[in-house]
Amino acid sequence: MTDLARVTLVAAATAIARGEISSVELTRACLERAHRLNAALNCFIRIEDELALREAARADAARAAGERLGVLHGVPLAAKDMFYDPERETSSGSRVRQGFRATTKATVLVRLAAAGAVNLGALNMTEFALGPTGHNAFYGDCRNPWNPAHIAGGSSSGAGAAVAARIAFGALGSDTGGSIRIPAAANGVLGLKPTYGRVSRAGAMPLSWSTDHIGPLARTARDLARLLAVIAGYDATDPSSSRRPVPDYEAALADGVAGLRVGIPVNYFFDGVDPGVRRLLEASLKVLAELGAQLVEIEVPAPEHLTELGRAIVYSEAAALHGEWLRTRPGDYSPQVRARAMTGIAIPAAAYLEALQLRPRLLRRFVSGVYAGCDVLALPTLALPVPTLADTDVGAGEAMWAIIGRLVYCTGPFNYLGVPALSVPVGFTASALPASLQLVGRPFAEARLLRVAAAYQSATDWHQRSPPIS
Amino acid sequence: MKRKEPEPALAPEVVMVLARLAAYPPLDAETAARIAVGATHAVRAVAASATESVFDTEPSAYLAELERLAESD
Repeated sequence: MTDLARVTLVAAATAIARGEISSVELTRACLERAHRLNAALNCFIRIEDELALREAARADAARAAGERLGVLHGVPLAAKDMFYDPERETSSGSRVRQGFRATTKATVLVRLAAAGAVNLGALNMTEFALGPTGHNAFYGDCRNPWNPAHIAGGSSSGAGAAVAARIAFGALGSDTGGSIRIPAAANGVLGLKPTYGRVSRAGAMPLSWSTDHIGPLARTARDLARLLAVIAGYDATDPSSSRRPVPDYEAALADGVAGLRVGIPVNYFFDGVDPGVRRLLEASLKVLAELGAQLVEIEVPAPEHLTELGRAIVYSEAAALHGEWLRTRPGDYSPQVRARAMTGIAIPAAAYLEALQLRPRLLRRFVSGVYAGCDVLALPTLALPVPTLADTDVGAGEAMWAIIGRLVYCTGPFNYLGVPALSVPVGFTASALPASLQLVGRPFAEARLLRVAAAYQSATDWHQRSPPIS
Repeated sequence: MKRKEPEPALAPEVVMVLARLAAYPPLDAETAARIAVGATHAVRAVAASATESVFDTEPSAYLAELERLAESD
């Protein structure tokens, strides 16, 4: 049971429930692995042994008393270092917030704890979530467990790396332009950016209140479904959360894809895709077709400006959020993140507000233009092979900007629109690094995306492969 | 044949003035140039997308629109 490489989140929860292993035993095994691998991966900012073992002991005591805390009873998870918890520091990957201790706990952490989860510690991230590579000037760069010379992706870099490296059974990330899906794809795990409003952001570090999304990363569709079911739903402390009921995501997984129309965009999303990545995507679509899905071509209405429209919002809101610190503590930011956080000062307020006001209209156009012809849209998560840390470092010069632009090319549009998007690993490129398919649904269609991913994983074994690190 | 006008772009010097106006510490030329490029792309995208009036759009319409566009379960 302690062979962590083979155990899924749901299997771990089941084993604990049956008494085959205790939460303390499992948590100790995860902590030992975290300490051992962190030197190479730097996926944790803080490993919280004492707190994690205390939570695990509480879960075991509850079980001994015949009580089940919830569907994650005793399961070790971890969260990006941006979810507030009065018992722990929350650095947001920054020097500015080093030592910060909140007075309230993030709703998502409250819900995970109520479901019985154990929190192993704070995962590395891009400073203030402002960047897609996982570089971090203050806590060190997070590294990819498939090849430490390559990026783990960002901004939820540690979440992707820790789940892939079998340190945590699942993790929490945030996504404002691709920050869950990019590290999920770079590390070969699943990552879900839910619909805007599906998961509460209360108590999570804000980057852009109009485009921030909180979501889970895990290794299987079933694991992801379980995590989403726990964290989703209305929260009175987040006025932007939806009152729409949360469906039974796990129950929907068995429905398969027979008859489901999978749309392949004929414009924008496959432009300039690396040939090796394209081959893997085409092979994954063939698998879905063999499972009974109907592949159809779809013209996506006007996707080319969506990422930049989102940036107009993110830059403006980030500049407002960081204004005081940018004025008084500019030296506490890395130069790149300072520039990103300040870009909003040069965006006219009218342009920001127009980008916001255009959103419902462009959303309607997207949904009616795409989902009249298909049920799920399928496209790359990353249009390029996972780049190296060196190629995406600030010292790499102009070429770096082109790579960074390509990293968010296929993910950014869906933060602006707010529709759900799920990254699913579909194999490995010539450099032995993962590639992923991105499934995009109409609003609140998370169950359908998970159902497609579950069908795909039932016919393939990419998700069972472990990185060559131990 | 009429020559195409180059697309307007925000000058780094303007960014420096905006930063000073908003009481930020002085920016170096590289940072100002980076900000100018990022802001120029974003503003161009808004201009290219703003082809119809948003006069009658309710500021709070977005979440309601997401919920309205969801399929009924």
